[in-house]
Amino acid sequence: MTELIVPLLAATVQSGTPVLFATLGEMFTEKGGILNLGVEGMMSVAAFAAFVTAYMTGSPWLGFIAGGIAGMLMATLHGIVCISCLGNQVVSGLALTILGVGLTKFLGTPYIGMAAPGFDKFAFPLLSDIPVLGNIFFRHDALVYVSFIIPVLFWFFFRRTSLGMAITATGEYPQAAAAAGLKPVRLRYLAVGVGGFLVGLGGAYLSLAYTHLWTNGLSGGRGWIAVALVIFAFWRPGRAVIGAYLFGGVMAFQLRLQASGTNLPSSLLLMLPYALTIIVLVFSAFRGRGTEAPAALGTNIEPEG
Amino acid sequence: MTLGFKLKKRDEPWQWGAPIILAGALLFSFIVSSLLLEGQGKSALDGLYILWTGAFGSAFAFQGTFLKAVPIFMCSLGVAVAFRMQIWNIGAEGQFALGAIGATWMALTFPNMPWYGQLPLMFIMAFIFGGIWAFIPAFLRLKLHVNEIISTLMLNYIAILLLEYLVFGVWRDPSSFGFPMTVEFSEGGIIAGIAGTRYHWGIIFCAIVGVLLWAFMRFTRMGFELKASGEGPRVARYAGMPYGFLVIFVMCVSGGLAGWAGAIETSAILGRLQPSLMVGYGYTAIVVAWLARLEPRNIAFAAFLLAALRVGVENMQLKMQIPAAFGEIMEGIILLSVLAGQLFLTYRLERKQDSAREA
Amino acid sequence: MNRFLKMFALAACAVMLVALAACSGGEKAEEKPAEKTEAAAPAEEAKPIKAGFVYVSPIGDAGYSYAHDQGRKAVAEMDGVETSFVESVMEGADSERVIRNMANDGFDIIFATSFGYMDPMKRVAKEFPDTAFMHCSGFKTAENMSNYFGRMYQARYLTGLVAGSMTKSNEIGYVAAFPIPEVIRGINAFTLGVKEVNPEAQVRVVWTKTWYDPALEKDAAVALLDKGCDVIAQHQDSPGPQEAAQERGVYSVGYNSDMSGFAPKAHLTAAIWNWAPLYTEAVQQVKDGNWKGNQSLWVGMDKGVVDIAPLGDMVPEDVKKMVEEKKAELAKGNDIVFVGPIKNQKGEVVLEEGKKADDGQLLGMNYFIEGVVGNTE
Repeated sequence: MTELIVPLLAATVQSGTPVLFATLGEMFTEKGGILNLGVEGMMSVAAFAAFVTAYMTGSPWLGFIAGGIAGMLMATLHGIVCISCLGNQVVSGLALTILGVGLTKFLGTPYIGMAAPGFDKFAFPLLSDIPVLGNIFFRHDALVYVSFIIPVLFWFFFRRTSLGMAITATGEYPQAAAAAGLKPVRLRYLAVGVGGFLVGLGGAYLSLAYTHLWTNGLSGGRGWIAVALVIFAFWRPGRAVIGAYLFGGVMAFQLRLQASGTNLPSSLLLMLPYALTIIVLVFSAFRGRGTEAPAALGTNIEPEG
Repeated sequence: MTLGFKLKKRDEPWQWGAPIILAGALLFSFIVSSLLLEGQGKSALDGLYILWTGAFGSAFAFQGTFLKAVPIFMCSLGVAVAFRMQIWNIGAEGQFALGAIGATWMALTFPNMPWYGQLPLMFIMAFIFGGIWAFIPAFLRLKLHVNEIISTLMLNYIAILLLEYLVFGVWRDPSSFGFPMTVEFSEGGIIAGIAGTRYHWGIIFCAIVGVLLWAFMRFTRMGFELKASGEGPRVARYAGMPYGFLVIFVMCVSGGLAGWAGAIETSAILGRLQPSLMVGYGYTAIVVAWLARLEPRNIAFAAFLLAALRVGVENMQLKMQIPAAFGEIMEGIILLSVLAGQLFLTYRLERKQDSAREA
Repeated sequence: MNRFLKMFALAACAVMLVALAACSGGEKAEEKPAEKTEAAAPAEEAKPIKAGFVYVSPIGDAGYSYAHDQGRKAVAEMDGVETSFVESVMEGADSERVIRNMANDGFDIIFATSFGYMDPMKRVAKEFPDTAFMHCSGFKTAENMSNYFGRMYQARYLTGLVAGSMTKSNEIGYVAAFPIPEVIRGINAFTLGVKEVNPEAQVRVVWTKTWYDPALEKDAAVALLDKGCDVIAQHQDSPGPQEAAQERGVYSVGYNSDMSGFAPKAHLTAAIWNWAPLYTEAVQQVKDGNWKGNQSLWVGMDKGVVDIAPLGDMVPEDVKKMVEEKKAELAKGNDIVFVGPIKNQKGEVVLEEGKKADDGQLLGMNYFIEGVVGNTE
């Protein structure tokens, strides 16, 4: 039994990781009260930027950072439209996705099929020798290990630092935050930027670790899954981890079900992750009733005058 | 000393604001995309010229653009109705697919019926199927507060896989050598062309639906209620309006309209159901709806504009080897700049008073 | 003030995007000078023949469209011929417009290289009786429209022989795109090859429902590897499965073109396309005025349209020799792949002993044969 389950769970961690980065990024953004539906577009552009940088410099780490920066730049566009120009957040996010996916295809087409230096799997010293858990969690690439730390930092930032609390305040009651002497506009830009950076890391993971080859459709809907997982996670990093791995697990599971020769039609199996997302939202609705969202999520701050 | 501008709320909306902003957005998008072209070592002027001729240059091109605009227009009407109420229906793509499935079901079940029996059945079933696909997220939103953006989006993926399941499985044409497509619809199931051209009667149908929808929003009490509820559920509730009912109603209409678009595209353009039906009209429809500021009249214009962009880009590809994604970039930039520009509909820039002099 | 500054930031962002484009674009221009010169090359003869190609995916992928484009390049080398192509054309309504545009633009012969272009092409062919239309992988023809395809299953069979010889676990994985006859036929031919040298082995199939998605294809390959497979074959356009095999230190069989560059240690061989002979012949016929419609060209190894990539160093000499012999047989035009007895997955005989499958049976093949694990839905 373990020889079936352990590879399944290891594959789960692998497919869950890009979604985890993106989910945390979107969560960071939403903590500041801004809804950014452009995750899919940001991930695409970031994957491309990461690939090109690694391809040109030969350094996967530089590529990783470049992916984050690309995500941040894209997010800044969203910030300008929504925070400064008071544009509709839902539509702006969609526009960002269209732009990002288009830009990636446009710029990326000449690179299709090329390979860049990326991250390879290695056994984490000591920890990989833990029975069972070692095989599941500690025989991956370096970026997976990075993704283990970020939820902890995320939690610490919002629970223990004043900046984190200021961002939370902006997401809940921007007017009250302003009255208390905070600068909601700046804080929202910060949340959007940092969130974009994290989403970008998720994109970079796709082109540097998931596969080392460039292609246009790498994000393949993962950005949207991330948006859904934020709701599932009730804006808590710990639950984001669970959600991302749940999604990764279903994906890995349906492929293994096919490999073992099931009679279920593949179309129905491929529906699983998407259907599960809806089901998961239904269940979280039973528990949370949607009240845990930042109170000012999706509303813009009107300037005075 | 600071010399700058600040935002001041307009006393009344900027009268010619909307078209000016759209024109500005188009111009901005042309500039950015020209730079992109020049960056790739291709002449931007040639490119834009080829784009233009590809979309409008000949009767031929115009026809292509017009036909492409039809499904986008129809989906967009549906999207706009929902957006009016602040219901973010991203699911036109899936509802479009379900409409096509519904229409196909009827066409396959009653192949011997004449057109005046078969087509109405197809349209009714397309509306029901599209409507059901939109009802699910509406219901989940009302009863369980499930975010409709996500549920409609996930249902898009599921709808496309469902369509594939059907054409790869039970509906596969036995004489197609196993390729994924249904049998061709009988003559009664195909929307005929108008006087031998490629324009088909579905276009007239769309125009009528557009006018009816406009009239509905403009002149009926319910249309007024819908617009009012757009201000938020609280406003609607204070006014004693059945908000829940309105949400369900609006979503079903929205899905039904997208379903009709699917039926028209399947019947008039493809003549059978096959996976290549799905080319992303549902997403373009969202852009169109917003560019049109959710007004049915403007939607026709905006749908035509974006159809022209998509068709024209193909010509750029043929003549200049420019990837088709170029059109998406322009689409995204136009929409982003319109969004940003709409700020000036309600605000204007005003010189800041020099504080030093005041003191 | 603050707000105004941010408007500048918007402009700055746009400039950055463009700068990014310029950087990468400059490179593109350097990499692909050939395309430009081809398109702009002045024809020496008074009226050059124009050949147009419609591709379903981008050509840069070392995959299906890439293989077709290699064929186009051979056509472009011909005297008095101009070529152009449109890539990533969606099947259905979009393709009809693209093909019509080409015909209207005075192209003399148009190649549409994906199944879904069949109906659209047939409709356009009716409107342009003087243009030659060539459709790949379909079954409809007209006065001025022929179809063509390659007997890829012959190459698949040869790669199956290699895979069957190299597996130790007797489990072979096959990552496949869509359950259409072309793919199913390929899997069956591959399995026939495997079983011929190794009756114990079985072939496990995972459907991805996409032609090109490296991440998903790789995941599918990993799922098969976890199931104990030690050779991975594919009917996909990306080298994702190759990568997965290389990482696990097992073997792989490529498709479309020689994929050994992506996985030098794993790559046993690949079933590959070579469209140049067929394309140049068709264009030459148009030039000479003897091109004919209503033809169904289904050509194989005898014409050189399908082939296998050179066998890797890890393949033992005796296997190499056996494959060479079988290949020589196929090249002579003796189709030895689908010869009875062949049983389906339930063990029922579908082709009796000594009988050869005819083209109708092959074209409509929608069942798996014995030895394949998986279903065709």
